[in-house]
Amino acid sequence: MHAFEYHRPSNVKDAVALVLKKEEGRYLAGGQSLVQAMKLRLSSPTDLIDLNAIGDLKALKAESNAVTIGAMVRHAEVAASSGVRKAIPALASLAGIIGDRQVRHMGTIGGSLANNDPAADYPAAVLGLGATIVTSKRKIEADKFFKSLYETALEPGELITAVSFPVPKRAAYMKFKNPASRFAIVGVFVADFGGKVRVGVTGAGPCAFRQTDMEKALASKFAPESVANIKVKADGLNNDLHASPEYRAHLITVMARRAVEAAIK
Amino acid sequence: MKMADVAGFKRRKDESLTKGKLRGLGYACYIEACGIAPSNVAGSLGARAGLFEAGEIRVHPTGTVTVFTGSHSHGQGHETTFAQVVADRLGLPMENVDIVHGDTSKVLFGMGTYGSRSIAVGGTAIVKALDKIIAKGRKIAAHLLEAAEADIEYDRGVFKVAGTDRQKTFGEVAFAAYVPHNYPLDKLEPGLNENAFYDQTNFTFPAGSYVCEVEVDRDTGATQIVAFTAVDDFGKIINPMIVEGQVHGGLAQGIGQALTEGCRYDSTGQLLTGSFSDYAIPRAGDVPLFKLDTRETPCTHNPLGVKGCGEAGAIGAPAAVMNAITDALGVKDIPMPATAQTVWRSMHKAA
Repeated sequence: MHAFEYHRPSNVKDAVALVLKKEEGRYLAGGQSLVQAMKLRLSSPTDLIDLNAIGDLKALKAESNAVTIGAMVRHAEVAASSGVRKAIPALASLAGIIGDRQVRHMGTIGGSLANNDPAADYPAAVLGLGATIVTSKRKIEADKFFKSLYETALEPGELITAVSFPVPKRAAYMKFKNPASRFAIVGVFVADFGGKVRVGVTGAGPCAFRQTDMEKALASKFAPESVANIKVKADGLNNDLHASPEYRAHLITVMARRAVEAAIK
Repeated sequence: MKMADVAGFKRRKDESLTKGKLRGLGYACYIEACGIAPSNVAGSLGARAGLFEAGEIRVHPTGTVTVFTGSHSHGQGHETTFAQVVADRLGLPMENVDIVHGDTSKVLFGMGTYGSRSIAVGGTAIVKALDKIIAKGRKIAAHLLEAAEADIEYDRGVFKVAGTDRQKTFGEVAFAAYVPHNYPLDKLEPGLNENAFYDQTNFTFPAGSYVCEVEVDRDTGATQIVAFTAVDDFGKIINPMIVEGQVHGGLAQGIGQALTEGCRYDSTGQLLTGSFSDYAIPRAGDVPLFKLDTRETPCTHNPLGVKGCGEAGAIGAPAAVMNAITDALGVKDIPMPATAQTVWRSMHKAA
């Protein structure tokens, strides 16, 4: 790890100002990806701006029509939250199977989304539920947030402060885990808003995406058989030592079908 | 087969099918050449070292014992098992026995811990040294008890004149060896410290029979091991709990080889599985609760009758797991590791 300066601001304004002022400043949230990358010297920021002292980023509010999660809320907290479990149980259960226990007690939703790892779990829920990402300067719709591999709509210095998820009628997340890292080889989040259905897929492509064929089929009938025979094209899907594009394409269908089964239960 | 409830397999297979799972049953019987190794055989096979083991017993004036062993313990529990052997042989409490290993400035010589050899070779070297301790102890006791050496018996920590109640404890004999005021100095060196090198006359041959039951997810190819039964014959068992732990570890390792572990390189020779986020070692959730049993047919050529148990699980498990998967799929062969993708591909080829 290369040397860096450490800062610990107590509010969002100071954090943003710091990151913009420094040569290569990076926000530090839970540090579950960034610190590993720094250890491997894949990332060498000149300054780390630690967000852990900013109380405003730690709020968690579950209401009947929306769940709003502060950027610095840990996965374990979302998983255990009675409010989230009541409003969007699928979101709580997704948070409960991210990585491993250590990751869940350090990792944050804001960090996960800003990093936009292609195999992270939260992006599937953000797309599947059509969440709104609230930042230090604006609100970004889910559909406009994920750009490409590790790329998001965030501008330099722009900080995610919270994520707001609309409450669906029913939803479920199904994940086929990488046996080593527990990242998603394929994860599918299906949400039914009563006639309108969204399907968010993670792990399969360069970044999370929506599966619109399935959304249409499920909108006309929200049942497992609506998606069971939809063949997803393998073109452009990830290819690595754990899964080929063809296998991932197949898994999208299987996980979507199982997510619908789980949502109906 | 009774332990594994093979009779109930058909019913379980039908049940699995209703959940979209293919159930398979696999057997593996193994026999292993352990207790590595007779040096002359090893040499003829190209080994460039002797494969004996060394042990030293230092009896202190207080009658406590320090054992120096060439068999290093890095989690196998030699400190316990070897202390049991020594305490049992000398008839002393276990807390009077210290085991020292892994320090080349202290131990005589060590060939290492591998080939399921520690108790069979290292343990036997210790026993040979113990026999020398007892032999010298009998000489000292004969002097102290004014009896013929041939009449001295050693039993549970006491040297006694056969057929009488005249006796000296192990501690008294040790003390006399180090404070030789009344001691046959003309015939015997003071002190009580002996060592032995032991070279096996043959390998040992532990063997076992394993039964593995798997469920394969028809949609994803993911394999879950739902039951595993292992019966091993390790010869005489010194510490059942440690043996059980060794089998557990071996089975987990063997299951890892069968299902998840594999080094992969790209076309330029770059290792792709260079960290544990890509190289999948098995975790608790990947292994079932094991059903274990042992048989104890003594090894005929070492004094402890032991055969060794370190590698057994890792030898029998991969074959049992792979046989269970091929049984579930109805195919002849499937490459290792049988990852979900590999099994899925095999199912599609078979279909």
